[in-house]
Amino acid sequence: MSEISKLTELRKLMLAMERSLGLEELSPAERDIFYAATELARETGNVKTTGLMEHALVANISRPTFFRALKSLVEKGYLSSCRSAGRGRYVVHARDD
Amino acid sequence: MTAARTGIGRLIGETFSASLLYLTAFVVNFEVVLPVQNLFFPEYTSRASLLFLPHGVRVLAAWLMGWRSALALLPGVFLAFFYVAGLEVFTPSRLAGVFIAVTIAPAAFEAFRLLGVNLAPRPDRTPCWICIMIAGLVASVAGSMLTNLAFGSAPVEYFAYVIGDMAGLFFLMLALMLIFRWMRRLGR
Repeated sequence: MSEISKLTELRKLMLAMERSLGLEELSPAERDIFYAATELARETGNVKTTGLMEHALVANISRPTFFRALKSLVEKGYLSSCRSAGRGRYVVHARDD
Repeated sequence: MTAARTGIGRLIGETFSASLLYLTAFVVNFEVVLPVQNLFFPEYTSRASLLFLPHGVRVLAAWLMGWRSALALLPGVFLAFFYVAGLEVFTPSRLAGVFIAVTIAPAAFEAFRLLGVNLAPRPDRTPCWICIMIAGLVASVAGSMLTNLAFGSAPVEYFAYVIGDMAGLFFLMLALMLIFRWMRRLGR
């Protein structure tokens, strides 16, 4: 496991703790999409909507919930549209990875 | 050859960061937590810390790195023992203490794995922090029993070690959670 992966896993652990302690800022769907986006963006620096929808953590989320959660993540500043790579691509913005 | 070099480079990086974190947690514990503890509980004469942060470092390192954490933490744990005991670190009981300190947490995770509960991080899974706390408890109970056996301490020390280890693990995880939360907010 790379250093970035270790930090990602550590952050996932802390987000799970935040959720258990009732301090989370994200809904379960938003959180799963965010985890998946963090994983997928590790290689290329951005993530494609279609790739995101195929991720194991996201596969069970319905399409309307997925797009609502995706929009909410963009509004909350966790993700942003990747202008250079065109539509349907997002950059993960968390600085702690 | 390149893969071997990358592997060695990674191990050196892991060793440096894990040992540095362990040593920092140990110094904070020794220079900050223990004096505060003595101030608030002057009647408590034991040398065991009631908030032992280094246990948190070794449990999280073992969760992330598995058995490699034993090697990665070895320099830090050895220097921590040297910080307290000086050259007595080379006595058999202290060396046994170093060995127990670096191996007990990965051994606890390995025991869980052998029992069919693999807690190792996986990209497609949300980690279970309570399970990690339980693994930390198992490591603490086993570690305090073995360490007390090596040092010949009084039975009351067993409980003090376990309380300190668990408080240290929880406090470290809480501190990390708040740091990540703060960094996330800063990043928006």
